[in-house]
This record gives sequence, C-alpha cells and structure tokens, in this order.
Amino acid sequence: MDDGTLVERAVATRDVAAFSALARLHQSKVRGLLLRLTRGDHAAADDLAQETFLEAWRGIGNFRGESAFATWLYRIAYSRFLMQARKRKPDEQLGDWDVPMASGESGSHARIDLERAMAKLTAAESAALTLSFALGLSNSEAAEAMDIPLGTLKSHVLRGREKLKAILGEPS
Amino acid sequence: MNDMELDALLNAPLPERDAGDFSVLLMERVTQHEARPARILSWISAGVMVAVFAAACLFGASAIGHVDPHMNDMLIPGTLILLSLLLSYVVSEAARA
Repeated sequence: MDDGTLVERAVATRDVAAFSALARLHQSKVRGLLLRLTRGDHAAADDLAQETFLEAWRGIGNFRGESAFATWLYRIAYSRFLMQARKRKPDEQLGDWDVPMASGESGSHARIDLERAMAKLTAAESAALTLSFALGLSNSEAAEAMDIPLGTLKSHVLRGREKLKAILGEPS
Repeated sequence: MNDMELDALLNAPLPERDAGDFSVLLMERVTQHEARPARILSWISAGVMVAVFAAACLFGASAIGHVDPHMNDMLIPGTLILLSLLLSYVVSEAARA
C-alpha cells in the first residue's frame, strides 16, 4: 500500500494500523537524518524520532498532502531537533562523531570519514546536504522540510560541500 | 577530493535501520496517547461526581435544618466541593498541556 492510501486511512479513521505501516516505511530515513544531526548519538536520535512520529500522529489530521508525507515528517524531525538543541545547556553540546558504527551498517572507511566530517558542519548545513543528497529531496522540498527560503538552502548546500571537500581533502 | 567523489559519497543512502523495537515502542506510545482522553475524562467525571454528592449532602442537611450557613458545618462540604472542582480543573489543564 502506498503512502497516499495509508495517510488517507490514518486521517479519515485515525487508523493506528495504517499509521504503524507508515512509521515502518519511513522510520529508517527519519532516524538516519536525526542520527546525522545528533552526530552519531543513537539514543538521542531515536528519542527524537519517537517524538517526531508521535507528533505526526497527533497532527496527522492537519496534513493536507501539499507535500510528500516524507517531507512533512522530515520537517517535524528537523524542528524537533532544533527545539532540543536550543534547550541544550552549553556543557551538553554534541561531540564529535565518536560512536562506532554497528556491524552491518556499511561501515566503510569513506563512510566513517564522511560522518566525522559531517559532524564538523553546522546542523543546517548537515541537514541541507542529507536531505538533498542521501534522502533524495529536490531543493524546494529540502527547503520546505527545513522551513527556510530556497536561496538559504542553496547557500547551506554550497557552504557544506566546500567545508566537506576541505575536511576530507586534509591528509589524515 | 573532487566534486564527483564527494557527490558519490553524499548520494550514498543512509544505513538501513531495523524497524523492530522502534516500531513496537512507538505503537505503545501511540496507544497510550489514544487512551489519554478517556483516562482524563474519567478523572473529571469522578471529580464532578464528588462535587455533586457533596452538594447534595449539603442541600439535604440544610433542608432538614441541620446546617446553619453561619456555622462550621459548612466548612467540610464546602471544602470538599472546592477540592473536587480544583481537581477537575487541574486534570483538564493537564489534558490541554
């Protein structure tokens, strides 16, 4: 069953089973985005992902289908992350990506290097790159997910790419 | 690193995460969330019932002349009614939060 049908069922009859199917379809990407934003903190990323889906369930009646369901979820996830980041005390800042990848998580050296480099970007740059590349959103969809103008999204992508090239180009 | 190499790295899909425990926990939370209004309603109903009962006792006692509105007899039922209404208010505020 596709997103549209499941969303329709979840909205029309508050069908928990339909929402559960939607959550199963999208959980991996939402958790992946949040894992990057929290710089490899699996527990924090999963807590935020739980909050994201719970908020989506509460507000699913407001989903008008003007964007893809996934884009709507990423928007909630990113705003949840920002809200939590604002609440964080200065001594609780996220560290470097130092959590080893679980076995089976395609832990090639290049991938680990990329995650460590991503951790040096700002949250906005990291989110812009992840949404536009790994999650395959168009620029306008990514801008919508981050609730920023298209021009700002492009700036984040450009700046993030330049920083990554510089970091990954450094001799280790 | 050139642009093509960077694009290839960035375009690589994020690692697939198993839905298992995550989905189970999420559905538990969704179910709890769905049960919340009924739980809150039962608390409010209980509060209102106590208030009505206390008011009925007060009315009955005053009707047979056992309660003098100027005496301390009013204190206990009055406090009960106030507490019940306060409880209902607190619970309904919690529901809105």
